[in-house]
Amino acid sequence: MNSQSQSQSQRRKNFKIEAFKHKVELDPKYAERTWKVLEHAIHEIYNNNASRLSFEELYRSAYNMVLHKYGDKLYSGLVATMTAHLNKIAKSVESAQGGLFLEKLNHKWADHNKALQMIRDILMYMDRSYVPTSHKTPVHELGLNLWRDHIIHSPNIQARLQDTLLDLVQRERTGDVINRGLMRNITKMLMDLGSSVYQDDFEKPFLDVSASFYSGESQQFIECCDCGSYLKKAERRLNEEMERVSHYLDAKTEVKITSVVEREMIANHMQRLVHMDNSGLVNMLIDDKYDDLSRMYSLFKRVPEGLSTIRDVMTSYLRERGRVLVTDTERLKDPVEFVQCLLNEKDKHDKIISTAFNNDKTFQNALNSSFEYFINLNNRSAEFISLYLDDKLRKGLKGASEEEVEVVLDKVMMLFRYLQEKDVFEKYYKQHLAKRLLSGKTVSDDAERSMIVKLKTECGYQFTSKLEGMFTDMKTSEDTMLDFYAKQSAELGDGPTLAVQILTTGSWPTQPTAACNLPPEILTVCEKFRTYYLGTHSGRRLTWQTNMGTADIKATFGKGHKHELNVSTYQMCVLMLFNSADGLTYREIEQATEIPALDLKRCLQSLACVKGKNVLRKEPMSKDISEEDVFYFNDKFTSKFVKVKIGTVVAQKESEPEKQETRQRVEEDRKPQIEAAIVRIMKSRRVLDHNSIVAEVTKQLQSRFLPNPVVIKKRIESLIEREFLERDKADRKLYRYLA
Amino acid sequence: MRRSSNRKSSSASAAAGSGSTKAASKEFEKIDHLFNVYADKSSAIIDPEGIEQLCSSLEVDYTDVRILMLAWKMKAQKQGFFTLEEWRTGLKALRADSMSKLKKALPELVKEVSRPTDFLDFYSYAFRYCLTEDKQKCIDIESACQLLSLVLGTQFGPQVEKFTEYLKSQSEYKVMNMDQWMGFYRFCNEIPFPSLENYDSDLAWPLILDNFVEWFRENQN
Repeated sequence: MNSQSQSQSQRRKNFKIEAFKHKVELDPKYAERTWKVLEHAIHEIYNNNASRLSFEELYRSAYNMVLHKYGDKLYSGLVATMTAHLNKIAKSVESAQGGLFLEKLNHKWADHNKALQMIRDILMYMDRSYVPTSHKTPVHELGLNLWRDHIIHSPNIQARLQDTLLDLVQRERTGDVINRGLMRNITKMLMDLGSSVYQDDFEKPFLDVSASFYSGESQQFIECCDCGSYLKKAERRLNEEMERVSHYLDAKTEVKITSVVEREMIANHMQRLVHMDNSGLVNMLIDDKYDDLSRMYSLFKRVPEGLSTIRDVMTSYLRERGRVLVTDTERLKDPVEFVQCLLNEKDKHDKIISTAFNNDKTFQNALNSSFEYFINLNNRSAEFISLYLDDKLRKGLKGASEEEVEVVLDKVMMLFRYLQEKDVFEKYYKQHLAKRLLSGKTVSDDAERSMIVKLKTECGYQFTSKLEGMFTDMKTSEDTMLDFYAKQSAELGDGPTLAVQILTTGSWPTQPTAACNLPPEILTVCEKFRTYYLGTHSGRRLTWQTNMGTADIKATFGKGHKHELNVSTYQMCVLMLFNSADGLTYREIEQATEIPALDLKRCLQSLACVKGKNVLRKEPMSKDISEEDVFYFNDKFTSKFVKVKIGTVVAQKESEPEKQETRQRVEEDRKPQIEAAIVRIMKSRRVLDHNSIVAEVTKQLQSRFLPNPVVIKKRIESLIEREFLERDKADRKLYRYLA
Repeated sequence: MRRSSNRKSSSASAAAGSGSTKAASKEFEKIDHLFNVYADKSSAIIDPEGIEQLCSSLEVDYTDVRILMLAWKMKAQKQGFFTLEEWRTGLKALRADSMSKLKKALPELVKEVSRPTDFLDFYSYAFRYCLTEDKQKCIDIESACQLLSLVLGTQFGPQVEKFTEYLKSQSEYKVMNMDQWMGFYRFCNEIPFPSLENYDSDLAWPLILDNFVEWFRENQN
């Protein structure tokens, strides 16, 4: 400083401001002295005697040394001094016994940091000017590295530190309480020393040890625990580890340790858990164990293939269960019960998926595909679903509110969607609806219409146009009857009252019209109606459907008991015969009425063999009708009801021959649909190969049924024969559209 | 066609004639003469009886495939009958105007027919030739089997034998149509027999062949 002012006064005349050129040669002895001062200060700092030092003086000393190019000496001196101190500290730490080891280490570390801070402040000038230019490590970092090298990696400390830490973790895992704060400080120390120090000295061994710990524990648990308990334990361990990390480990360790637990406790035992006897996934599903299932879901979600494992097991279980359900001959005896069973299964598993599986869409899809698979295993499913609906619409939904009705119908629609053969369903639904409408046995018109709307939304206008036609016919018939009676009342006089339902042939299910012989009184009034109708609708043809009508007849039994019987048309024909004979044989009845055999037998059975409705008496008194039987008017018939219902127009499960017939009709109906699809496709594509046609046709028709490739081929050949298509002359795999 | 074979006039003599000029009638002089040897005098067409005679002149059997080939060469429309026009077409193409020449031409004809492109035409002709009724599109299985043996017997003997065996044993198909007929020929050409290794029923083979292959495979075991 002094020299500077000297030169300044000497040069006052020029008033030039020049760069500072300090060329003063410092006395080497001065450097040594200065260093000693600093060295002493470092000692004092390490001995916790820093309060007696003057920061400014020390700073200046350091500054001077650097300035006078003694940075090297200062730096190397610093290194040597710190190293010496650290070696002393190391010995001190090494000598600590047992639990005090960590405490000592922690304590010394805190001291070191404090010291380091002060030293760095003092040597700040060196840090900023000498260190960068000579590419040395800054003071703070240097301090950490030296600590690392001489304390943490000291041979007597390194292993012991690791063992101590891991041992504490182990103790905590087995239930002991440990000093978490201390742990925290130690791990933080390691992190401060560099993440590779943390990882190499602690994290990696920690993960390895944890892996073998959990491997062992999981092995132990799986031998003695049932699935639910095991999962609870696994969940607990997982939470524990996460908590451990948050308390005294570095945050980045969390994902690593959780994946260790996931792998050891869950992934490695997935199959065994899921398939565990009496407590595995299937048992949980059966017993609606929502908690366990939910836990399994959230745990398995964490591991690869976890959810797909659950899904696959669930799917194969559902398919098998479904297959058993639909092939159970006992259950198949009652169609309504059968469908209710399916609905219950659906409800049950819907609930499981929404409660325990977080409404996971992939699970919902698995459920849907399983249902679709097994519902179509039984080719009577379509018929049964229609029968179920028939039961509900006929009586099941009586008194139900609008919402309740919607709920039931929507659920049934879900099952409907699974059907592959929707056209079969349509056929049966039409039949059953016809019977309901004609017998007036529907619980609610609104419910019927709601169902039609749902079917229309699902399958399009074509599906329901005929059904709607049926409703229209009913209404029109009402109007027609009113008009008929208004115009004809004089002529009809005392004859039986007729109520005609005029059915448009295309809309109603086709029945083979086996006409029977109507009683003369009926015949007369029927003819009158025919004349009337054809008078206003010339060009139409009326055919009486005697297999679908009903009649109310008054009967007088012994002792003058009068009853009003509600019977089918066939039954009426039979009963009216007994106005002129007391007893008739089967054959006589058959001859007189010309009712087809199967229907006649059913008819006679309902008149003679049903308790409470036996207006006829049969000999012999067997349950079945044979062609040798004789029938008598049952004079002794009694009933507490004045009006007795004996009709047999209820929709029921088809007999085997009827089923074959319906199926045949369905197959016949499919042929033109397939052909129409083929023509449509070929018209737009012009040329197409065989496999593509099959694929396209299947796609076009899938909303109604699944066409058989062999049938498609046959239809193509038929179209070739009728010259709608031809085979391509060059490439025989192609077909060509002929305009 | 009322005129006799005396080549007196030149104007329109042939019923299906395309205007017989002097040159034409001269050209066909010998051919027509030969025609009239076998033709029925009143109808002026060679009928089945005439064909029988023709066969014995040619020293071939009535049912010999060479007669069918001859019909093909003539592009004869109706089975069992040859018209003058057809006769002319055939013999001119064969360059035969006498019986001896015609006899000599037969082996050549056989060779010609066995050339792949010609054979295909001949093969489909053979089917059409059997459609005797107007608008008939199919021939009954029995006849189809006979025809197959006749036409393909030498070339694809094993296949024909098995296929006809199948056809006779099944009852689903009572007739065969052109598509199935042609399909079988393609089958013989493209599918190795009896291994049937590259037969794929998902392709556009006629259903009757799918069923045949299934039957064959079942009966092999």
